Amino acid sequence: MNKENTNPADAKLGALLRESRIAPALPPRFQESVWRRIEDAVAPSISTGSVSWLDALAALTLRPRLAFATVAALALAGVLLGTYQGTQVARHDAQVRYLAVVAPNPLR
Amino acid sequence: MNRSLVIVLGALALGVAIFASSYFVSQRACVMSMTNPADDLNWLRNEFHLNDAEMARIRQLHEGYMPQCAKMCVLLAAKKSEVQAALADGTNVTADAQKKLTELGELRAQCQAQMLRHFIAVSQAMPPEQGRRYLAEMQRLTLGFHEEIEKSMSPASGHEHHQH
Repeated sequence: MNKENTNPADAKLGALLRESRIAPALPPRFQESVWRRIEDAVAPSISTGSVSWLDALAALTLRPRLAFATVAALALAGVLLGTYQGTQVARHDAQVRYLAVVAPNPLR
Repeated sequence: MNRSLVIVLGALALGVAIFASSYFVSQRACVMSMTNPADDLNWLRNEFHLNDAEMARIRQLHEGYMPQCAKMCVLLAAKKSEVQAALADGTNVTADAQKKLTELGELRAQCQAQMLRHFIAVSQAMPPEQGRRYLAEMQRLTLGFHEEIEKSMSPASGHEHHQH
């Protein structure tokens, strides 16, 4: 069972100790700077437009669904264009080959 | 370096790599699947949508034409050597060189006529519409080059021979 300290000498010692603590002086405009730092931490990107745009793009890039869709679209576009170009190249090569056989260069 | 910038640039590079690799792989695959190195007439079959019977007839015509073409090529090569020999010595065109040049021209004309006769025979072995297209295409490819030169030499194109 706790017993309250009722010794008057202890109470006097406590008061003396409290008085002896030195409270350091706050720097000038301390309160204002604290609020500014809080505001900066809450909205860090409002001040610079370009950085916020880049951050938004980076965040967009990292979205899995969008990333997969972009990769699929790019791969599909590459395959379609490659197939088209490949067809043209193969057709041209075959034509050149036929011409080389039936109409040698000196005749053309 | 800014983290967002690294992410955006990395994504961009990855996108370019994915597009480029899919493009080159599919192009290569397409060329390899469509090319038939064993058949010189592959272009005719694909371009003019010919069936096996038409291809068989055209192959027969082609095989008949090839020895004639080879013979003409040998004659042309020999005549060209004669022209070069005739032109090698002097600084002007001699009567002999002139004669050889005329013979070379005549030989080329004979060879071209033979080639055109073959193209006409091949075009007749195709369905009419495809045959017309084939003949027009072959004339453009084999005679068009000369037409371009002749057009570029006409006065209308600015090529004029000034008389003194």
